[in-house]
Amino acid sequence: MGVNILIVDDSAVMRSMIRKTIELSGLQLGEIHQAADGREGLTALETHWIDLVIADINMPVMNGEEMIERMQAVPGLKSIPAIVVSTEGSRVRIDRLNRRGVRFIHKPFSPEMIRDTVKDVLGCEVFHESAH
Amino acid sequence: MNRPTSELLTGVVVDTLEKMAFLFAFSQEANGSGAVTEPLETAEVSFCGPCSGRLQFGLSASVMTELAGNMLGAEDTATLSIEEQHDALKELVNVICGNLLPAIGGQEAEFSIGSPQIVGAAQPPLGPAAVESRLTLEGGICRAAIELGECRLTGAGVGKGQNVKGHMG
Repeated sequence: MGVNILIVDDSAVMRSMIRKTIELSGLQLGEIHQAADGREGLTALETHWIDLVIADINMPVMNGEEMIERMQAVPGLKSIPAIVVSTEGSRVRIDRLNRRGVRFIHKPFSPEMIRDTVKDVLGCEVFHESAH
Repeated sequence: MNRPTSELLTGVVVDTLEKMAFLFAFSQEANGSGAVTEPLETAEVSFCGPCSGRLQFGLSASVMTELAGNMLGAEDTATLSIEEQHDALKELVNVICGNLLPAIGGQEAEFSIGSPQIVGAAQPPLGPAAVESRLTLEGGICRAAIELGECRLTGAGVGKGQNVKGHMG
């Protein structure tokens, strides 16, 4: 069984960049779902089995911080690990996310930053041996 | 006050172009080149928080396909749509803004960045006091400009605790 990932970002280009990076990371990938804002992200979480959420912060309709807060308030969803990939530069907001157990990757990112953070969060065992 | 912030803007733009789109840009002033003479594809983002304002980033139309192609890892840039090119430009201005604001407002400052938009004829131009950076790339040019409203700045580019009223210039 592969890892199912939800990518939440209002930029289709950024979703595509993250998707491509994940596909090349050596992760044993299942399905990749996409959402353009936090509300769409919550809907995707309710309708699909998701193992990892990768979300932006600044998005229309519902931002990533609120989406994660709502996700973690739902018993069946709160254990899903989340990584925020954002331009966010506020130490206060990053600390707030870290206290929720959320990992943070700053844009612009390198493919290695995404791969290593996913590996830290999910463990080496969900990566193909060649990627260890 | 203007010059250090222009340098800051240039630094963030160069770094972002290089890391996100593998485009290498050089200051036009360093090259001794003149002002922007060609129409640029331009995206704008507004922000609010300790400072409010707008940031614009414009790029030669001739470089738009390369920008989107590099960001998307597309092998055939001829198939990229105008929408994909504009989306790439909007994401670029978003990242430039996100990386610039902490340098202006400090690491503790919380800003809200709006959704980037492609600048059309309806958008009012930035004021003459906006801080600007002009750069040369292979095959084109780019221009970044930021206009600040009233704010209290403590970060790089200005003195600690200095209050800036009106547009920065």
